[in-house]
Amino acid sequence: MFNKQDGHDIKEIETIVGPSVKIKGDFNGHGNIIVEGIVEGSLKCGNMLSVKNKAKIMADIEAKDAIIGGEVEGNIKISGYLEITSTAKIIGDIEATKISIAEGALFNGKCTMGLGGKPVHAPETHD
Amino acid sequence: MHVYIYDSYLNQPKYQKTLSRIETRITDLGLNGKISRLGLMKNVNEVVQSEIRRGAKTIVVVGNDDTVQQVINSIARTGVPLGIIPIDKKNNLIAERLGIPCQDDACDILSARRIEQLDLGLANDQFFLTHAAITGEGTRIEVKENYSIELKEPGEIYVFNLDVGSVSLPPNVFINPSDGLLQVALITKHSKKFLFSENTVESIFAFDKFRLVNQKKPILLDGLFPVSSPVEISISRNSLKVIVGKNRSF
Repeated sequence: MFNKQDGHDIKEIETIVGPSVKIKGDFNGHGNIIVEGIVEGSLKCGNMLSVKNKAKIMADIEAKDAIIGGEVEGNIKISGYLEITSTAKIIGDIEATKISIAEGALFNGKCTMGLGGKPVHAPETHD
Repeated sequence: MHVYIYDSYLNQPKYQKTLSRIETRITDLGLNGKISRLGLMKNVNEVVQSEIRRGAKTIVVVGNDDTVQQVINSIARTGVPLGIIPIDKKNNLIAERLGIPCQDDACDILSARRIEQLDLGLANDQFFLTHAAITGEGTRIEVKENYSIELKEPGEIYVFNLDVGSVSLPPNVFINPSDGLLQVALITKHSKKFLFSENTVESIFAFDKFRLVNQKKPILLDGLFPVSSPVEISISRNSLKVIVGKNRSF
């Protein structure tokens, strides 16, 4: 249950929000975080964030890397790699350096990619 | 000077041989000191505090986990190192985690005098070494003014400083008594159905300060001392000097 999340091995976990737990407020963690329960407010993670299938997050998310498999209502800002699995339901804007979205995932929002999360503009073309 | 605090249960005749062996070993190693035997009429905290006032350089507890836990509040923040000589293999998980073997083998650890500074948990004004526990029913964890955690199902809340196996933790969750954090483990009845599986803890958090609020139930420190809620819990950094062995678990 705690060893692997969608095939990704998390060696040391600082926080696990279990399915019977509800967090209200500004949640801030420095290490790896696994969410299986409910989070309302805002969620900041200094390392790897893993949102499991049954998790419900009604919060803006900031993390270094993330795997989203649950429901998220809020904006997601990832400085590194964001993986959205097939069970994810995301309503909100996404910002990340690298993104993968699996088939079946639901995503309604704006997606911005690029170095440091800054939007990448297409080069101007001269006819 | 070393001061040896013998727990009252060691007054039983069956421990005489063990204690003689330990005393011989202590003499051989040149660690002789004063022996204070606890009894029903002796308050352990008064004994320890009075010995520290008289200039004890090391307080050595001879007994089990309960004996160690009883001296924590009188030795915390004094700077005087705590040594442990565990007598029985049962109920000596603190010594085990600190890498201290049983009986006369523990004297060699005392002699090597490898000292570690451990954090202690502080619940209101009472220290705890291993853990604090409270029922999850009706308990709210308030981390900041705008951040709280609640259990949606009945269960228990454990606050760990030093893990002595009170609950089975997930394999990649580590508890280090010198990292400046307390681990808060939430166990629900749902997860208790899998009591014999490896993972019985549902949620884990790491905090250095928070508040536990329960209108009805107290929190139990180190499995022995009740404290009424609401309880302000914080980490007290490097508050306990302990003589440890090489095989400690952190």
